[in-house]
Amino acid sequence: MTRARPLRLIPGLAALHLRHEWILTLCLVIALAAVISPLLVLLGLKHGTIHTLRERLVEDPVFREIRPAQTREFKPEWFEDVSTWPGIGFLTPTILPLSSVLSVVRTDTGKGELFDLIPTAAGDPLLLENGGTVPEDGEAVLTAEASRRLGVAAGEEILARVTRSRGGRTEAAELPLLVAAVLDPRAGSLPRIYAPLSFVVDVEAYKEGYAAPARGWTGDTPEPYASFDGAVLLLPEPLSPITRSGLVINTGFGRIADITEDGAGELLGFSPPPGLAAYNLLSPGASITASNLRAIDQKLRGHTRVLLPYVSDVEIRFGEEELRLIGLSVDEEQAGILSLPQTPWGGYTGRLPLGIRDVLWPSAREEVLQQKVSVRSAGVAALEFDLHPVGRTALAHPVVPVELLGVLRTATQRAVAFESEAGRFEMARGGYRGFRLYAHSIDDVPGLYHRLKGQGIEVIAEVEAIERIQVLDRGLTRLFWLIALLGVFGGTAVLVSSLYAAVERRRRDLGVLRLLGFARRHVFFFPISQGLMIAALGLAAGFGGYAALAGTINHAFASELAPGEAFCVLPGQYVPVFCLITLALAALASLAAAWRATCIDPAEVIREQ
Amino acid sequence: MAEATAPMVSLEGLVKTRSQNESVFELHVPHFAVRPGQMVAVIGESGCGKSTLLDMVALVMAPTRVGRFEITSSQSEGPCDVAALWARDDEDALSALRRDLFGYVLQTGGLLPFLSVRQNICLPARIKGGDIPASRVEALAARLGVAGCLDRMPVALSIGQRQRVAILRALAHQPRLVLADEPTAAVDKARARAIMDDMHRLARDEAVAVVVVTHDVDLVMDRADVAYTFDTHQVSEQVTSSLCRPVNGSGS
Repeated sequence: MTRARPLRLIPGLAALHLRHEWILTLCLVIALAAVISPLLVLLGLKHGTIHTLRERLVEDPVFREIRPAQTREFKPEWFEDVSTWPGIGFLTPTILPLSSVLSVVRTDTGKGELFDLIPTAAGDPLLLENGGTVPEDGEAVLTAEASRRLGVAAGEEILARVTRSRGGRTEAAELPLLVAAVLDPRAGSLPRIYAPLSFVVDVEAYKEGYAAPARGWTGDTPEPYASFDGAVLLLPEPLSPITRSGLVINTGFGRIADITEDGAGELLGFSPPPGLAAYNLLSPGASITASNLRAIDQKLRGHTRVLLPYVSDVEIRFGEEELRLIGLSVDEEQAGILSLPQTPWGGYTGRLPLGIRDVLWPSAREEVLQQKVSVRSAGVAALEFDLHPVGRTALAHPVVPVELLGVLRTATQRAVAFESEAGRFEMARGGYRGFRLYAHSIDDVPGLYHRLKGQGIEVIAEVEAIERIQVLDRGLTRLFWLIALLGVFGGTAVLVSSLYAAVERRRRDLGVLRLLGFARRHVFFFPISQGLMIAALGLAAGFGGYAALAGTINHAFASELAPGEAFCVLPGQYVPVFCLITLALAALASLAAAWRATCIDPAEVIREQ
Repeated sequence: MAEATAPMVSLEGLVKTRSQNESVFELHVPHFAVRPGQMVAVIGESGCGKSTLLDMVALVMAPTRVGRFEITSSQSEGPCDVAALWARDDEDALSALRRDLFGYVLQTGGLLPFLSVRQNICLPARIKGGDIPASRVEALAARLGVAGCLDRMPVALSIGQRQRVAILRALAHQPRLVLADEPTAAVDKARARAIMDDMHRLARDEAVAVVVVTHDVDLVMDRADVAYTFDTHQVSEQVTSSLCRPVNGSGS
């Protein structure tokens, strides 16, 4: 009989046997479920709790954040430097907290709310890890609270309204923004709006009264100030010692030194006429500005003198050539003392002259006669601009207003831009008032924390909390495995004993099965099938119990949890693994019973009563 | 009646030695044969070795020594050398022979308590890889007077009913040989007679050979084609010897 497949009948018979002894089966299933349910709950609790804590403390970018503890200025170079540090995941400058309040208006209802405007940039973990995207220019990302207050969702348009008070009038600028995303509540409970740094900086500038031409927002233009390395003082008569030393008191100058004509010539680029007393006023390591010069002027009132500020180390290139420029702004009287013609742009007043880019070209240099001279100046940001020749000079080098050199010197310390359309220099942003910094991973937080502190920057980071959580995680994992081990032993023992006992109890029936034509290898699978079935039923009951218990736990702790968090949660991929392990253990546990079943000798048992 | 046909079970020179504690029991079967359709009675007092002989015929006990042990499943095929199967302990082949050729009636029925009467009756056929038409099950059940019990569990039946169901289970899948071990030991004499009659009639109608083991000579002598009995004698203090021989007057 080739059709005979007795093995196929075994599971059915095993199932009927289990059903026949349903009370024993039920007890066994309950016993298994009583092991499986708590194990599942434990696994769920371990995963859920630790995951929640990890989510909160380890994976929530907030805990990778290092925040400045005080508001101070951070220069753009600082950001360039820090962004190259290892372990930096994300870094963006921020603005003054006060400047960051932005009125956001719903386009349809006109309903407005005040939100904190926070700059963001590509790779911002706070946005990317909380269900958001990094907004482009013209877009914004809202926190859940902001979205709730305004009643807008991702994809809708809002209106950003920036207001300022200037000259007693209230002015406002508006810009439509597309809500690119709304963040998970985890990203923070405050109403905030995240936008690209350029927008945030424009908002800040507008609030401070400046214009943002790219957005069509009108306002002032920040004019760069001229700064100098020192000043040469020329007088027909030498100063009395008292006057001389008085010049370094309360003027911002640190030193006054006698210099020769040649020395003065070196500083100024031209030699003053002989017979004048020459002094060099300097302030090592500091910048001389208009107020310092005014102070000196005040002190020398009544003296015939010329005060010529100078700039030492500004590099200007004219094509490939390094161009030495003479900075000179003298009025008629000063020009007379110096035996030079008056400069067309007038004397030094402290304000930038209109013709700041005018140049007197040396008569000796015939090669340049066109209207414009393109020069470049190195600085924080390289400047490229034209000079306008307005005349000739007898001096050896081109003569420009000293204010130009002063501006170029300032440009070596702070970012100055040349607006070619307006034809003027503008102060680019100096520094920022804070930063948003995220470490690459939590392990980088302590290192960065200490490095920043080493720079004298007071910062706040969750260093201790991170370490605590890691310790707790390791401890709980170990605890879980210990308990799981106990549970596995218990569950396996229950199965082993029950299945073995069932075989012993049913020796006669198994003997009859053998007599009816089942071979040893067939009855071997009788207890195995039963073990697997009981395990499957136990798993079903166990998962049922788990679901009920987990629901209760999560419900009970709902108030402790943020939306979307759960204390007891089993990740989907655990379920098949858990089931497979349970079934494998059940099969293993039934091996003893299976072996016992094969040992039954029908001749011995069929006559047992 | 079937003198010409080859025996379907043929045993020669069988010795089975069983030892328990100090005592040794030796069973000698010089010749034992079952021909197709025959009713063979094995009669003896308890302890004479009749159940041991039945277990060996049933292929669940290995003979200690045997000259020839062949089972012929059909006339077209040659005999199967059971002695060789035991020698190489071919459990699969032995259980295949059991399920294909034999049906069993145990002393107390041997019904599986976790299957219904109908499931019990159909089980041997299902192990063979087939099934029994419900009409046949019902017809057979009606003949044995257990038609109303088919969907009950064995525990709900009387002992007589259980034995009838056991006979049904042994016959329903159309085996060549039914082995019955004291099938009526648990019922009273009148009922035993009726059950034995039913089994006899059914076996003859189905053309199935029957080996029935019993201690009750009266019950089988008038029905059996062949009968065997045992001569027991004490060889020594420990050793008991039993010889299986045909009962005089019965053909073999």
